[in-house]
Amino acid sequence: MKARTLSVWAARRALGAALTVLVATVVVYGALRLVPGDPVVALSAGRRLTPEQIEALRHRHGLDRGFLQGYLSWIGGVLRLDLGTSLNYQTSVMSLITGRLGVSGLLILYSATLAAALGTAVALVSAVRGGVADRIASVLAAAATATPTFVASIALLALFSIGLGWFPATGAGTGPADRLWHLTLPAVAMAIAAFGVLARVGNAAFAEQLGREHVVAARSRGVGTAAVIRRHVVRNALAPLLTVVGVLVASLFVGTAVVETAFGLDGVGSLLVTSVSRRDFPVVQGIALIGIALFVVVNTLVDLVLPLIDPRVTAGGPRR
Amino acid sequence: MNVLDIAGLRLSVGDVPLLADVTVRVGRAETVGLVGESGSGKSLTSRAALGMFPRGARVTGHVTAAGVDVLAAGRGALRDLRRTRAAMVFQDPRASINPVRRVGDYLTEGLRASGVPAREAAARALDLLDQVGIRDPGRAVRRHPHEFSGGMLQRVVIAGALAAEPDLLLADEPTTALDVTTQAEVVALLKRLQRDRGTGMLFVTHDLDLAAAVCDRVYVMYAGRVVEEAPSAGLFRAPAHPYTRALLEASPSARGERAEIRAIRGRPRSLAEAPSGCSFRDRCPLADDACARKVPDIRPHGTSLVACLRPQEVTP
Repeated sequence: MKARTLSVWAARRALGAALTVLVATVVVYGALRLVPGDPVVALSAGRRLTPEQIEALRHRHGLDRGFLQGYLSWIGGVLRLDLGTSLNYQTSVMSLITGRLGVSGLLILYSATLAAALGTAVALVSAVRGGVADRIASVLAAAATATPTFVASIALLALFSIGLGWFPATGAGTGPADRLWHLTLPAVAMAIAAFGVLARVGNAAFAEQLGREHVVAARSRGVGTAAVIRRHVVRNALAPLLTVVGVLVASLFVGTAVVETAFGLDGVGSLLVTSVSRRDFPVVQGIALIGIALFVVVNTLVDLVLPLIDPRVTAGGPRR
Repeated sequence: MNVLDIAGLRLSVGDVPLLADVTVRVGRAETVGLVGESGSGKSLTSRAALGMFPRGARVTGHVTAAGVDVLAAGRGALRDLRRTRAAMVFQDPRASINPVRRVGDYLTEGLRASGVPAREAAARALDLLDQVGIRDPGRAVRRHPHEFSGGMLQRVVIAGALAAEPDLLLADEPTTALDVTTQAEVVALLKRLQRDRGTGMLFVTHDLDLAAAVCDRVYVMYAGRVVEEAPSAGLFRAPAHPYTRALLEASPSARGERAEIRAIRGRPRSLAEAPSGCSFRDRCPLADDACARKVPDIRPHGTSLVACLRPQEVTP
C-alpha cells in the first residue's frame, strides 16, 4: 500500500521534471526568434556567408517555417542528440560540449564536495557550541556568501599561484593527481560562495533541531551527546540541507563560466563565454539546454531521495 | 526512602530568578501532583529531577532522584540516572518523538544506550508495546510516528519511559495535548503501570481536578514557589491558600453542583515580576499590608502545609 503511494508520487515528480524541461526548451528556442531583425543575422554574427550557408542555417533552425514547425524540427534534432553545428568551430556542438564536460564535471563535483563538507562542518560546530564560535562562523559565512567568484579567483591566483607558487595558474593538468592539483584553486574559488550559503542554512537547520522537544526528550532518556547530534540533529536537518545542495550544484554549473575563464581551463564554462562573445548561437543554445537538464535532473533526484530521509514528505500527498 | 527529594531549590538564569526555595518529595509507589499555571515553574522543577536545566542556569539547593545527588553528579552519573532510574513523559508525543525515525528505533535507543544487545532490545520493545496496549506490536515498531494517533503515540512514549524500569516517573502534562477520552485512558495506563511496579510518579499538570483524581498528594506552585502542599482529598475539602481556593473556584465542576465559576483577577506572575512579600498578594482578595513585609513561611493548617499568613480566613 505504502510502496504504491511512493511510486505514484515518484512518477508525478518525474512527469513534473519532464514538463519543466519541455517548457525550458521552448524558451531556449524562442530566444532566437526574439532577436530583433532577421534571426539569420544573429546566427551568422557578421560572418560572410554564402547564400547556400544562409539557407542551410534557416532550414536548420526552422526559420523557413512557422514557430511550431520550426521548434518541432529543432527539438527533433535535440532528441537525436544533434545540437547543430558551431558557426565558430564548424564542428558539431555536441562533440564540442562532451569533449569539455570532463573538466567541468570534475570541477563542479570537487567544488560541491568542498562546499558541502566544510559548510556543514562549520554549521554544525557553530550551532552546537553557540556563543563566540557561532558569531565567528556567522561573520565568516556572510563574508563568503558576499564574495563574488571572480574576486575570489583573482585573490586566490595572486596569493597561492603567483605569490606562493603552490598551485598552477592555468591549465587542467594531465593524469588524475595532476588534474586535481590544477583544479584545486578554481574549485575553491567556486566553493566559497556555496560554502557561505551552506554554513548559514546549515546553522539555522541544526539550531532549529537542537531546540526541538524530541532532542530534549532524547537527552532526558540518557542518550549520549554524540548520538543525539548524529541521530536526532544531523539526521533531521539532512532534508533541508540536501535541497540547498541540489540548487547549489546546479548554480555551480553557471559559476564555471567565470572560473574557467579566470584559470584558463578549457571547459564548458569557458566555451560558453567564448561562444557568447563570438555570437555562436547554436553552442549557447546547447549549453543552456545542458544547464537546464542538469538543474532539473539534480533537483528531481533530490526530491526522489527526500522521502527516504523524511517519511512525512509523501504523507502529505495522495491519501492511501 | 524517597525516590525524589527536592529541597530548597533555587534557580536563576542571569539576573532572572525562576524558582525560589522549592521543596518537593515523592515516595516510592506514591503519586504526587505538581499544579500551577504556566510560568509557575512546575516544568522547571520536574526537569530539575533529571538534572536538565536551561542554558546558563545557576542552581542551588538539593536534588536527589532515585538515590543520585543530581546537582553534584557528573555527566556519566546523570546519563546513568536518565537511562535506568528516572524517566520523563512529555506533554506532546508528536513533538517528543523524532518524526523521521521509526517507533522501534525510539524504543530501542535507550535500551541500546544502556548496553542491551540489539536483538534483546528489539524483543523488549515488542513486549513494552504490548504492555501499553498497542495492537500488533510487530507492525507498530516498523511504522513512523505520523502513522499513529496522538493517544497511541503517547502510549509509545510511556512504553519508552518504562523501558528504563525507572524508580521515578516524571509526567509533564502527559494528557494536555490529547482528546478527553484518550486522556482518561492514558491516565489509567500510567496509574496501572505505576501500581504494578511500585514506581514513584511526579504528575505535573495545570488541571487541579485531574491532579486530585490521580494523585495522593498535591503541591500547588505559584510564581516559582510552592504555596501549598496537601493530601488530594484535603486540598479539595479545605484549601488553605487563597490561590488554591481561587483555582478551585475558577474551574467548572463535574460533580453536579452548579457553583459559580469565578476567574482569578489579574494575570499569572513569574517569580521575577512577583511583588515583594507574598507573590500572590496583588491578586489576593484577603491581602493587606502584612502580606507585603516578607514571604510567608510554610506552616501547617488543617491537613495542609501552607505559605499564607491567614489560612483560617480561606477555610476556617
